[in-house]
Formats: sequence, structure tokens, C-alpha cells
Amino acid sequence: MVRIDFNRLRFLVIDDNAHMRRILRTLLHGFGTREVYEAEDGAAGLEAFTHYSPDIVITDWAMPIFDGLELTQMIRQPGANNNPYVPIIMLTGHSEKKRVIAARDAGVTEFLAKPISAKGLYQRVLNVVANPRAFIRTRSYFGPDRRRNANPNYAGTERRKGGKAEVIKQPPLLEKAGVTTGPAR
Amino acid sequence: MSEKKTSLAAVSTFADHEVIVPPNKLKKAVQKLKPGEKAPFDPVERAEAALAELAADFSVWMNNECVRLDAARNAIKASGITEGNKDVLFRATHEIKGEAATFGYPLVAPVADSLCRLIEHTPDLAQLPLRLVDQHVDAIQAIFHRNTRGDVGKYAAQLAEKLRHVTDEFLLHENRDDPDTIESILSPSLVP
Repeated sequence: MVRIDFNRLRFLVIDDNAHMRRILRTLLHGFGTREVYEAEDGAAGLEAFTHYSPDIVITDWAMPIFDGLELTQMIRQPGANNNPYVPIIMLTGHSEKKRVIAARDAGVTEFLAKPISAKGLYQRVLNVVANPRAFIRTRSYFGPDRRRNANPNYAGTERRKGGKAEVIKQPPLLEKAGVTTGPAR
Repeated sequence: MSEKKTSLAAVSTFADHEVIVPPNKLKKAVQKLKPGEKAPFDPVERAEAALAELAADFSVWMNNECVRLDAARNAIKASGITEGNKDVLFRATHEIKGEAATFGYPLVAPVADSLCRLIEHTPDLAQLPLRLVDQHVDAIQAIFHRNTRGDVGKYAAQLAEKLRHVTDEFLLHENRDDPDTIESILSPSLVP
């Protein structure tokens, strides 16, 4: 059993809706966090990310100027900032399968569909803190390893070349978001 | 495969990808509990209690969101639809979809979800059926304002179902030549 000492974590919350920022701040303070920084759009969020060096970013998707997906892509550019590996939790009302896949492919670490709950948020934070994933860099992707499980029933060809993939078992993002799909790849 | 380990990250290089294990900066926050040891408090319970203290404000916040939605709808009626005011309408609806249940108005969320789908998947801006938009916005306001009435659940569910049905029929027709959008429309949504 592990517990998370939230007092040692610094959060950045990016959401254009002041009510949602207040709710997130309240939940995080309830968990025991002291340091919660806020930004109200993607541009301000990127600036705050550079300035405050948060341990965990929680971002909305739909925001003015640039959205949470674009923000994630900017943070995940190697060399663009001090911490391209920062865990990013996307909290959004967008919950369709194609959206979850787009978030995963942009480099989002965890996906949390609204309506928000204390339990759901806690589980995502627990996961990124206690079970960090390796990062993968290919010609077209840089972000957390998108393979959370080795599927014994997978019958296709191995798409990664040069060695057997190392997989740290974790529930797939789609499962976490509650979307039912076929076997994982 | 080659391996190199720097102070920043351990990198394993393969033919077409790299596996990078970054330094675990968050390890400092993980505390292992000894067998039988209990955490000093339950963080989820404490966060829920903190959220409950905010609940007195939720009806005001929800009202603000409904006012914002109404203004977005009225702006379109006054000056005609544009990409800009359509985005404002979508954003206002999307906020309600995500927040309604948290604010204690879960019956509002399915109607907001239906309106989001209508705005998002109508392929031609000029074809967005403003009467159906109006019906959604009116339904959201009616369900919110009558939330305390005992029979609201039954009627709200019927209203949401009907609006969703009409919206889906419209969207399937409008996107009949676009299988990707059809698949997207028919794929399951989690919210509400």
C-alpha cells in the first residue's frame, strides 16, 4: 500500500471556466496539496508551465487561443521546455472514442471525463505518481508509452522494430475513460 | 539496441524508436505504508467534504452558465450565425454538459450533450437548425429552473430522449455521405 503526500506536489490547473478551476483547487486542497497554480487558456497555461515548473498539469480540452490538445503537443516537444515528461491529465467533457485517441496520440498521460469526482481525480493522480510510464519517441510521436498492456491475443505484426517491446501493465486510456472497445492492439 | 544513461533520462535506442525512462521526480511524494499502518486521513473523503462546502454556490453558478448559453443563442438570432458565434454557443453548451452533474443538475447534462453533438456534427454552418437549437436551450433552462419539482425527472428524461432522437436523425441525414462522421455520431459517449 502506498499513500501520496500531496503536500509535496505542485499542480497547474488550466481551464477557461472559473467554476471548474475553483472546483479543482478545492479538490486538490482537500487531498492535501498546497501549491495549485491556475491559468485560464492554453497560452497562459504554457507560460505558467514554464514559470512554475509544476509536477502535474491538469488541463481542459476546449479553451480559447489554443486548446488543451495543442498545449499538450507544445509541452511534449523535446527541448522546448524543462520538463517534456510532465504528467498531463486531460479533464474534459469530450469523451467520444476518437477524442480519447486524439488525446492519447498528443501525449496526454491520463484522461478524465467530466463530470469530475474526487475519486476519479485521485485515481489519475495516484496513477501518474505511483506508476509512471516510460516515454516513447518515434518519427511521429513523443509521449508516454501508449501500450499499457501486452495483448496475448494480438495477431498482427509487431510495428516497433529492433527488439521486443517492454510494457508496464496499466489499464488502457479508453478503459479508464469508460469507453468499451475491442481487444487492445 | 543501444543503451545510454544520463542524469536526465535512461534511453534505449531501437531501430525505429527510443524508449526513454525519465527520472522519477514524483517519487518524493510516494510513501509506502507498513503492514497495518493507516493513512492519517482519507484524501478522497476530505476532498468530497471540501467540495460539499462549495455546494451552496452551485445553483448560482449553474444559473450563470444558463444565462451565458441564452446570450449565445440570442446573439445568433440577432445577427445570424457565424463561425465565431457558433463557437461561443458550443463552448457555453459544452461547459454545461461537463458541469451540470457536479452542480447537482444531472438531468440537464443529456440535453446539453445532444446540443453539443448537433453543433459539432452539422457539416454546413448555414444548415444548423436554429429551431432545434432553441428547443435545446429552452429545455436546458426549463429543467434547471424546475429542478426541485418532483416530476421533473420523468419529463426531463423524455425531453432529452426526444431531442436526442430528432438530433441524431438530422445528423445522420446531413452526414449520409460521410461514413467517418456517421461512425463518430454513432460511437458511444460517456457524458453524461
